[in-house]
Amino acid sequence: MTISHHPPEELLADFAAGNLEEAHQLVVGVHVAGCPRCARFVRAIEQLAGAAMEDVEPVPIAPDAFDRVMSRIHLSPAETAAPPLASDIDHDLPPALRNYRIGKRRRVAPGLSMRPIELSGSGSARAFLLRSAPGSRMLEHSHTGTELTLVLEGSFSHEGGRFGPGDFDYGDDEVDHRPIVGDEGPCLCLVAMTGDLRMNGFLGRLIGPFVRL
Amino acid sequence: MIAAIRALEVPIRAGAGLPRRVVARLSIGARGPKAQVDWAESIGRVASDGDREAFKRLFEHFAPRIKGLMLKAGCSSDEAEEIAQSTMIAVWRKAHQFDPATAGAPAWIFTIARNLRIDLFRRRARTERLQTDSELPDAPDQAETADVLMSRVQDAARIAAAIKQLSAEQSTVVRLSFIEERPHPEIASALGIPLGTVKSRIRLAMNRLRDILDEEA
Repeated sequence: MTISHHPPEELLADFAAGNLEEAHQLVVGVHVAGCPRCARFVRAIEQLAGAAMEDVEPVPIAPDAFDRVMSRIHLSPAETAAPPLASDIDHDLPPALRNYRIGKRRRVAPGLSMRPIELSGSGSARAFLLRSAPGSRMLEHSHTGTELTLVLEGSFSHEGGRFGPGDFDYGDDEVDHRPIVGDEGPCLCLVAMTGDLRMNGFLGRLIGPFVRL
Repeated sequence: MIAAIRALEVPIRAGAGLPRRVVARLSIGARGPKAQVDWAESIGRVASDGDREAFKRLFEHFAPRIKGLMLKAGCSSDEAEEIAQSTMIAVWRKAHQFDPATAGAPAWIFTIARNLRIDLFRRRARTERLQTDSELPDAPDQAETADVLMSRVQDAARIAAAIKQLSAEQSTVVRLSFIEERPHPEIASALGIPLGTVKSRIRLAMNRLRDILDEEA
Protein backbone atom coordinates (compact mmCIF):
# COMPACT_ATOMS: atom_id res chain seq x y z
CA MET A 1 0.00 0.00 0.00
CA THR A 2 1.58 3.23 -1.13
CA ILE A 3 0.13 6.16 0.69
CA SER A 4 0.62 9.50 -0.98
CA HIS A 5 -1.84 11.78 0.80
CA HIS A 6 -1.38 12.40 4.51
CA PRO A 7 -3.20 14.45 7.14
CA PRO A 8 -1.83 17.94 7.81
CA GLU A 9 0.78 17.84 10.60
CA GLU A 10 -1.34 19.97 12.92
CA LEU A 11 -4.05 17.34 12.77
CA LEU A 12 -1.51 14.62 13.57
CA ALA A 13 -0.17 16.63 16.50
CA ASP A 14 -3.68 17.14 17.87
CA PHE A 15 -4.30 13.43 17.41
CA ALA A 16 -1.13 12.56 19.32
CA ALA A 17 -2.03 14.94 22.13
CA GLY A 18 -5.56 13.55 22.37
CA ASN A 19 -7.28 16.79 21.39
CA LEU A 20 -9.40 15.61 18.50
CA GLU A 21 -13.09 14.94 18.75
CA GLU A 22 -14.13 11.35 18.38
CA ALA A 23 -15.00 11.22 14.66
CA HIS A 24 -11.75 12.95 13.67
CA GLN A 25 -9.72 10.85 16.06
CA LEU A 26 -11.19 7.71 14.52
CA VAL A 27 -10.37 8.67 10.93
CA VAL A 28 -6.89 10.00 11.66
CA GLY A 29 -6.25 6.96 13.88
CA VAL A 30 -7.09 4.50 11.13
CA HIS A 31 -4.76 6.35 8.77
CA VAL A 32 -1.94 6.45 11.32
CA ALA A 33 -2.35 2.74 12.14
CA GLY A 34 -1.54 1.94 8.51
CA CYS A 35 0.97 4.68 7.71
CA PRO A 36 4.50 4.27 9.11
CA ARG A 37 5.38 7.84 8.16
CA CYS A 38 2.55 9.44 10.12
CA ALA A 39 2.93 6.92 12.95
CA ARG A 40 6.49 8.18 13.33
CA PHE A 41 5.33 11.77 13.44
CA VAL A 42 2.72 10.91 16.07
CA ARG A 43 5.30 9.14 18.20
CA ALA A 44 7.56 12.17 17.99
CA ILE A 45 4.76 14.31 19.41
CA GLU A 46 4.14 11.69 22.10
CA GLN A 47 7.80 11.90 23.04
CA LEU A 48 7.50 15.67 23.31
CA ALA A 49 4.39 15.20 25.44
CA GLY A 50 6.24 12.78 27.70
CA ALA A 51 9.00 15.35 28.09
CA ALA A 52 6.42 18.05 28.83
CA MET A 53 4.93 15.83 31.53
CA GLU A 54 8.37 15.40 33.09
CA ASP A 55 8.79 19.17 33.22
CA VAL A 56 5.35 20.04 34.51
CA GLU A 57 4.87 21.33 38.03
CA PRO A 58 3.83 18.21 40.01
CA VAL A 59 0.45 18.61 41.69
CA PRO A 60 -0.04 16.72 44.98
CA ILE A 61 -2.13 13.63 44.64
CA ALA A 62 -4.79 12.62 47.19
CA PRO A 63 -3.07 11.30 50.35
CA ASP A 64 -4.76 7.90 50.18
CA ALA A 65 -4.34 7.59 46.40
CA PHE A 66 -1.57 4.99 46.46
CA ASP A 67 -3.51 2.69 48.77
CA ARG A 68 -6.64 3.10 46.73
CA VAL A 69 -4.76 2.31 43.54
CA MET A 70 -3.22 -0.78 45.14
CA SER A 71 -6.58 -2.05 46.33
CA ARG A 72 -8.10 -1.51 42.91
CA ILE A 73 -5.20 -3.44 41.40
CA HIS A 74 -5.76 -6.31 43.84
CA LEU A 75 -9.43 -6.46 42.95
CA SER A 76 -8.58 -7.22 39.33
CA PRO A 77 -4.86 -7.51 38.73
CA ALA A 78 -5.12 -8.66 35.13
CA GLU A 79 -5.83 -6.44 32.24
CA THR A 80 -9.49 -6.37 31.41
CA ALA A 81 -9.72 -5.68 27.73
CA ALA A 82 -13.17 -4.92 26.47
CA PRO A 83 -14.23 -7.57 23.96
CA PRO A 84 -14.73 -6.16 20.49
CA LEU A 85 -18.30 -5.73 19.38
CA ALA A 86 -18.54 -8.88 17.34
CA SER A 87 -21.77 -7.76 15.73
CA ASP A 88 -19.95 -7.21 12.51
CA ILE A 89 -19.12 -9.83 9.97
CA ASP A 90 -17.19 -7.19 8.04
CA HIS A 91 -13.70 -8.51 8.67
CA ASP A 92 -12.31 -6.30 5.96
CA LEU A 93 -12.84 -3.27 8.12
CA PRO A 94 -9.81 -1.90 9.95
CA PRO A 95 -9.46 -3.25 13.52
CA ALA A 96 -10.02 0.23 14.97
CA LEU A 97 -13.58 0.11 13.67
CA ARG A 98 -14.38 -3.19 15.36
CA ASN A 99 -14.88 -1.39 18.66
CA TYR A 100 -17.72 0.61 17.19
CA ARG A 101 -21.29 -0.23 16.46
CA ILE A 102 -21.95 0.37 12.80
CA GLY A 103 -25.47 1.00 11.60
CA LYS A 104 -27.32 -0.50 8.67
CA ARG A 105 -26.41 0.51 5.18
CA ARG A 106 -28.71 3.02 3.61
CA ARG A 107 -28.88 4.46 0.16
CA VAL A 108 -28.18 8.18 -0.13
CA ALA A 109 -28.19 8.71 -3.86
CA PRO A 110 -27.82 6.51 -6.93
CA GLY A 111 -24.60 4.51 -6.57
CA LEU A 112 -23.97 5.93 -3.12
CA SER A 113 -24.71 4.32 0.24
CA MET A 114 -23.59 4.94 3.78
CA ARG A 115 -23.40 3.22 7.17
CA PRO A 116 -23.35 5.49 10.20
CA ILE A 117 -20.82 4.76 12.93
CA GLU A 118 -22.20 5.10 16.42
CA LEU A 119 -20.15 7.57 18.43
CA SER A 120 -20.44 8.62 22.07
CA GLY A 121 -21.99 11.95 21.16
CA SER A 122 -19.21 13.95 22.78
CA GLY A 123 -18.31 15.75 19.56
CA SER A 124 -20.13 17.53 16.80
CA ALA A 125 -18.74 15.60 13.83
CA ARG A 126 -20.36 12.47 12.48
CA ALA A 127 -18.52 9.44 11.20
CA PHE A 128 -19.73 7.05 8.56
CA LEU A 129 -18.63 4.57 5.96
CA LEU A 130 -19.40 5.74 2.45
CA ARG A 131 -19.57 3.32 -0.43
CA SER A 132 -19.73 4.58 -3.99
CA ALA A 133 -20.11 2.58 -7.16
CA PRO A 134 -17.14 2.27 -9.54
CA GLY A 135 -16.95 5.04 -12.08
CA SER A 136 -19.53 7.15 -10.33
CA ARG A 137 -19.09 10.84 -10.31
CA MET A 138 -20.10 12.64 -7.19
CA LEU A 139 -21.88 15.90 -7.57
CA GLU A 140 -19.73 18.92 -7.29
CA HIS A 141 -19.92 19.90 -3.68
CA SER A 142 -18.41 21.95 -0.95
CA HIS A 143 -18.76 21.73 2.80
CA THR A 144 -20.17 23.94 5.47
CA GLY A 145 -17.68 22.36 7.87
CA THR A 146 -14.69 20.08 7.54
CA GLU A 147 -14.58 16.66 6.01
CA LEU A 148 -11.90 14.09 6.67
CA THR A 149 -11.91 11.17 4.29
CA LEU A 150 -9.85 8.02 4.43
CA VAL A 151 -9.96 5.57 1.54
CA LEU A 152 -10.32 1.96 2.70
CA GLU A 153 -10.92 0.31 -0.67
CA GLY A 154 -10.98 1.42 -4.27
CA SER A 155 -10.09 4.97 -5.21
CA PHE A 156 -11.35 8.37 -6.19
CA SER A 157 -9.78 11.36 -7.89
CA HIS A 158 -10.39 15.06 -7.84
CA GLU A 159 -8.28 18.09 -8.62
CA GLY A 160 -6.16 17.31 -5.54
CA GLY A 161 -5.00 14.04 -7.09
CA ARG A 162 -5.81 10.36 -6.94
CA PHE A 163 -6.72 8.85 -3.59
CA GLY A 164 -6.24 5.10 -3.09
CA PRO A 165 -6.35 2.85 -0.01
CA GLY A 166 -4.79 4.54 3.02
CA ASP A 167 -4.89 8.00 1.44
CA PHE A 168 -6.29 10.81 3.51
CA ASP A 169 -8.22 13.73 2.11
CA TYR A 170 -8.83 16.91 4.04
CA GLY A 171 -11.65 19.12 2.85
CA ASP A 172 -12.96 22.29 4.37
CA ASP A 173 -15.38 24.96 3.32
CA GLU A 174 -12.84 26.50 0.98
CA VAL A 175 -12.69 23.43 -1.18
CA ASP A 176 -15.01 22.76 -4.06
CA HIS A 177 -14.47 19.35 -5.45
CA ARG A 178 -16.02 16.81 -7.67
CA PRO A 179 -14.59 13.39 -6.99
CA ILE A 180 -14.74 10.65 -9.60
CA VAL A 181 -14.64 7.10 -8.30
CA GLY A 182 -12.08 4.82 -9.94
CA ASP A 183 -13.24 2.08 -12.29
CA GLU A 184 -11.46 -0.76 -10.48
CA GLY A 185 -14.25 -1.36 -8.00
CA PRO A 186 -16.48 0.30 -5.45
CA CYS A 187 -14.83 2.91 -3.31
CA LEU A 188 -15.22 2.49 0.45
CA CYS A 189 -14.28 5.48 2.55
CA LEU A 190 -14.30 6.28 6.23
CA VAL A 191 -15.55 9.84 6.62
CA ALA A 192 -15.73 12.29 9.51
CA MET A 193 -17.83 15.30 8.76
CA THR A 194 -18.93 18.42 10.53
CA GLY A 195 -21.60 20.60 9.01
CA ASP A 196 -23.35 19.52 5.84
CA LEU A 197 -22.47 18.80 2.29
CA ARG A 198 -23.49 21.65 0.07
CA MET A 199 -24.29 20.65 -3.47
CA ASN A 200 -23.20 23.12 -6.09
CA GLY A 201 -24.58 23.57 -9.54
CA PHE A 202 -28.14 23.55 -10.76
CA LEU A 203 -28.76 19.83 -10.40
CA GLY A 204 -27.03 19.76 -7.06
CA ARG A 205 -29.23 22.51 -5.72
CA LEU A 206 -32.21 20.67 -7.03
CA ILE A 207 -31.44 17.35 -5.39
CA GLY A 208 -29.31 18.73 -2.56
CA PRO A 209 -32.15 18.78 -0.07
CA PHE A 210 -32.77 15.08 -0.69
CA VAL A 211 -29.21 13.94 -0.27
CA ARG A 212 -28.96 13.52 3.46
CA LEU A 213 -25.41 12.99 4.50
CA MET B 1 -7.23 19.57 0.06
CA ILE B 2 -4.36 21.35 -1.62
CA ALA B 3 -6.05 24.63 -0.90
CA ALA B 4 -6.51 23.66 2.72
CA ILE B 5 -2.85 22.81 3.13
CA ARG B 6 -1.76 26.00 1.43
CA ALA B 7 -3.95 27.97 3.73
CA LEU B 8 -1.93 26.60 6.62
CA GLU B 9 1.30 27.84 5.16
CA VAL B 10 1.42 31.21 6.75
CA PRO B 11 4.33 33.30 5.50
CA ILE B 12 7.27 32.80 7.76
CA ARG B 13 9.09 35.78 9.12
CA ALA B 14 12.55 35.33 7.84
CA GLY B 15 15.24 35.72 10.42
CA ALA B 16 12.93 36.48 13.33
CA GLY B 17 14.46 35.12 16.48
CA LEU B 18 17.29 33.32 14.76
CA PRO B 19 20.08 34.32 17.10
CA ARG B 20 17.87 33.48 20.05
CA ARG B 21 17.26 30.03 18.71
CA VAL B 22 20.95 29.22 18.83
CA VAL B 23 21.20 30.44 22.40
CA ALA B 24 18.08 28.54 23.39
CA ARG B 25 19.43 25.35 21.92
CA LEU B 26 22.66 25.71 23.79
CA SER B 27 20.78 26.22 26.99
CA ILE B 28 18.93 22.95 26.47
CA GLY B 29 22.25 21.21 26.09
CA ALA B 30 23.58 22.90 29.19
CA ARG B 31 20.60 21.75 31.23
CA GLY B 32 21.56 18.24 30.29
CA PRO B 33 19.76 15.06 31.23
CA LYS B 34 18.20 15.21 34.66
CA ALA B 35 19.49 12.94 37.35
CA GLN B 36 16.94 10.20 37.14
CA VAL B 37 15.85 6.79 38.17
CA ASP B 38 15.74 4.32 35.34
CA TRP B 39 11.97 4.31 34.95
CA ALA B 40 12.08 1.70 32.23
CA GLU B 41 13.77 -0.66 34.66
CA SER B 42 11.14 0.03 37.31
CA ILE B 43 8.38 -0.76 34.84
CA GLY B 44 10.23 -3.97 33.96
CA ARG B 45 10.26 -4.98 37.62
CA VAL B 46 6.57 -4.37 37.95
CA ALA B 47 6.05 -6.55 34.89
CA SER B 48 8.30 -9.41 35.95
CA ASP B 49 7.89 -9.54 39.75
CA GLY B 50 4.91 -7.34 40.55
CA ASP B 51 7.48 -5.26 42.47
CA ARG B 52 5.48 -3.02 44.78
CA GLU B 53 8.43 -0.82 45.74
CA ALA B 54 9.32 -0.13 42.12
CA PHE B 55 5.68 0.66 41.47
CA LYS B 56 5.55 3.02 44.42
CA ARG B 57 8.52 4.95 43.03
CA LEU B 58 6.80 5.18 39.66
CA PHE B 59 3.62 6.29 41.37
CA GLU B 60 5.29 8.98 43.44
CA HIS B 61 7.08 10.39 40.43
CA PHE B 62 4.45 10.14 37.72
CA ALA B 63 1.04 10.45 39.41
CA PRO B 64 1.56 14.11 40.47
CA ARG B 65 2.94 14.94 37.03
CA ILE B 66 0.06 13.31 35.20
CA LYS B 67 -2.25 15.29 37.44
CA GLY B 68 -0.33 18.48 36.72
CA LEU B 69 -0.43 17.96 32.97
CA MET B 70 -4.13 17.09 32.97
CA LEU B 71 -4.90 20.25 34.93
CA LYS B 72 -2.94 22.26 32.39
CA ALA B 73 -4.89 20.62 29.59
CA GLY B 74 -8.17 21.76 31.11
CA CYS B 75 -9.34 18.89 33.33
CA SER B 76 -11.02 19.61 36.65
CA SER B 77 -9.12 18.67 39.78
CA ASP B 78 -11.29 15.57 40.33
CA GLU B 79 -10.86 14.48 36.74
CA ALA B 80 -7.11 15.01 36.85
CA GLU B 81 -6.90 12.99 40.09
CA GLU B 82 -9.00 10.18 38.64
CA ILE B 83 -6.99 10.07 35.41
CA ALA B 84 -3.72 10.03 37.37
CA GLN B 85 -4.89 7.10 39.53
CA SER B 86 -6.37 5.17 36.62
CA THR B 87 -3.22 5.73 34.58
CA MET B 88 -1.11 4.22 37.34
CA ILE B 89 -3.43 1.21 37.56
CA ALA B 90 -2.99 0.77 33.81
CA VAL B 91 0.78 1.12 34.18
CA TRP B 92 0.69 -1.85 36.58
CA ARG B 93 -1.58 -3.90 34.35
CA LYS B 94 0.13 -3.09 31.06
CA ALA B 95 3.69 -3.12 32.38
CA HIS B 96 4.45 -6.27 30.39
CA GLN B 97 3.52 -4.42 27.18
CA PHE B 98 6.06 -1.68 27.72
CA ASP B 99 8.98 -1.93 25.35
CA PRO B 100 11.84 0.37 26.33
CA ALA B 101 13.31 -0.01 22.83
CA THR B 102 10.39 1.80 21.24
CA ALA B 103 9.32 4.49 23.67
CA GLY B 104 10.56 6.27 26.74
CA ALA B 105 8.66 5.63 29.97
CA PRO B 106 7.25 9.20 30.15
CA ALA B 107 5.91 9.05 26.57
CA TRP B 108 4.39 5.63 27.22
CA ILE B 109 2.72 6.78 30.41
CA PHE B 110 1.55 9.94 28.66
CA THR B 111 -0.24 7.88 25.98
CA ILE B 112 -2.06 5.89 28.67
CA ALA B 113 -3.18 9.08 30.42
CA ARG B 114 -4.19 10.64 27.12
CA ASN B 115 -6.35 7.64 26.19
CA LEU B 116 -7.99 7.62 29.60
CA ARG B 117 -8.79 11.30 29.28
CA ILE B 118 -10.40 10.65 25.90
CA ASP B 119 -12.44 7.81 27.43
CA LEU B 120 -13.47 9.95 30.37
CA PHE B 121 -14.85 12.67 28.12
CA ARG B 122 -16.71 10.16 25.98
CA ARG B 123 -18.16 8.37 28.96
CA ARG B 124 -19.36 11.65 30.30
CA ALA B 125 -21.09 12.27 26.98
CA ARG B 126 -22.98 9.03 27.28
CA THR B 127 -24.99 10.47 30.12
CA GLU B 128 -28.12 8.54 29.41
CA ARG B 129 -26.38 5.22 29.71
CA LEU B 130 -26.17 3.45 33.00
CA GLN B 131 -22.64 3.30 34.32
CA THR B 132 -22.10 0.33 36.54
CA ASP B 133 -18.34 0.41 36.80
CA SER B 134 -16.80 3.10 38.92
CA GLU B 135 -13.43 2.66 37.29
CA LEU B 136 -12.24 3.98 33.97
CA PRO B 137 -11.95 1.15 31.46
CA ASP B 138 -8.57 0.48 29.94
CA ALA B 139 -8.42 2.26 26.65
CA PRO B 140 -8.32 -0.08 23.70
CA ASP B 141 -4.92 -0.01 22.10
CA GLN B 142 -4.76 1.14 18.56
CA ALA B 143 -4.17 -1.91 16.41
CA GLU B 144 -1.30 -1.31 14.05
CA THR B 145 -0.43 -2.97 10.80
CA ALA B 146 2.73 -5.04 10.44
CA ASP B 147 4.38 -2.19 8.52
CA VAL B 148 3.91 0.19 11.37
CA LEU B 149 4.87 -2.32 14.04
CA MET B 150 8.07 -3.23 12.22
CA SER B 151 9.19 0.32 11.88
CA ARG B 152 8.61 1.06 15.57
CA VAL B 153 11.97 -0.11 16.82
CA GLN B 154 13.97 1.35 13.95
CA ASP B 155 12.16 4.61 14.39
CA ALA B 156 12.83 5.14 18.07
CA ALA B 157 16.36 6.48 17.64
CA ARG B 158 15.38 8.57 14.66
CA ILE B 159 12.53 10.17 16.57
CA ALA B 160 14.77 10.96 19.51
CA ALA B 161 17.29 12.56 17.16
CA ALA B 162 14.60 14.56 15.36
CA ILE B 163 13.23 16.00 18.59
CA LYS B 164 16.69 17.15 19.56
CA GLN B 165 16.92 19.06 16.30
CA LEU B 166 13.87 21.14 17.07
CA SER B 167 14.83 24.49 18.49
CA ALA B 168 13.75 25.31 22.03
CA GLU B 169 11.35 27.89 20.59
CA GLN B 170 9.79 25.30 18.36
CA SER B 171 9.31 22.66 21.02
CA THR B 172 7.87 25.32 23.32
CA VAL B 173 5.12 26.30 20.87
CA VAL B 174 4.35 22.65 20.15
CA ARG B 175 4.07 22.01 23.86
CA LEU B 176 1.87 25.02 24.55
CA SER B 177 -0.34 24.63 21.52
CA PHE B 178 -0.93 20.89 21.34
CA ILE B 179 -0.04 19.38 24.68
CA GLU B 180 -1.35 22.12 26.95
CA GLU B 181 -3.99 23.09 24.38
CA ARG B 182 -3.57 26.79 24.95
CA PRO B 183 -5.20 29.10 22.42
CA HIS B 184 -2.84 30.95 20.10
CA PRO B 185 -3.54 34.44 21.52
CA GLU B 186 -2.68 33.15 24.99
CA ILE B 187 0.58 31.67 23.70
CA ALA B 188 1.37 34.98 22.01
CA SER B 189 1.00 36.89 25.26
CA ALA B 190 2.79 34.24 27.32
CA LEU B 191 5.80 34.35 25.01
CA GLY B 192 5.52 38.05 24.24
CA ILE B 193 5.40 37.52 20.48
CA PRO B 194 2.83 38.54 17.84
CA LEU B 195 -0.02 36.15 17.07
CA GLY B 196 1.23 35.72 13.51
CA THR B 197 4.58 34.57 14.84
CA VAL B 198 2.87 31.93 16.99
CA LYS B 199 1.11 30.54 13.95
CA SER B 200 4.17 30.61 11.72
CA ARG B 201 6.35 29.12 14.43
CA ILE B 202 3.94 26.21 14.89
CA ARG B 203 3.85 25.65 11.13
CA LEU B 204 7.63 25.82 11.00
CA ALA B 205 7.97 23.33 13.84
CA MET B 206 5.55 20.93 12.15
CA ASN B 207 7.38 21.17 8.82
CA ARG B 208 10.73 20.79 10.44
CA LEU B 209 9.73 17.72 12.40
CA ARG B 210 8.19 16.13 9.32
CA ASP B 211 11.26 16.97 7.21
CA ILE B 212 13.77 15.60 9.68
CA LEU B 213 11.76 12.42 10.16
CA ASP B 214 11.38 11.97 6.40
CA GLU B 215 14.92 12.72 5.47
CA GLU B 216 16.33 10.05 7.74
CA ALA B 217 13.88 7.45 6.52
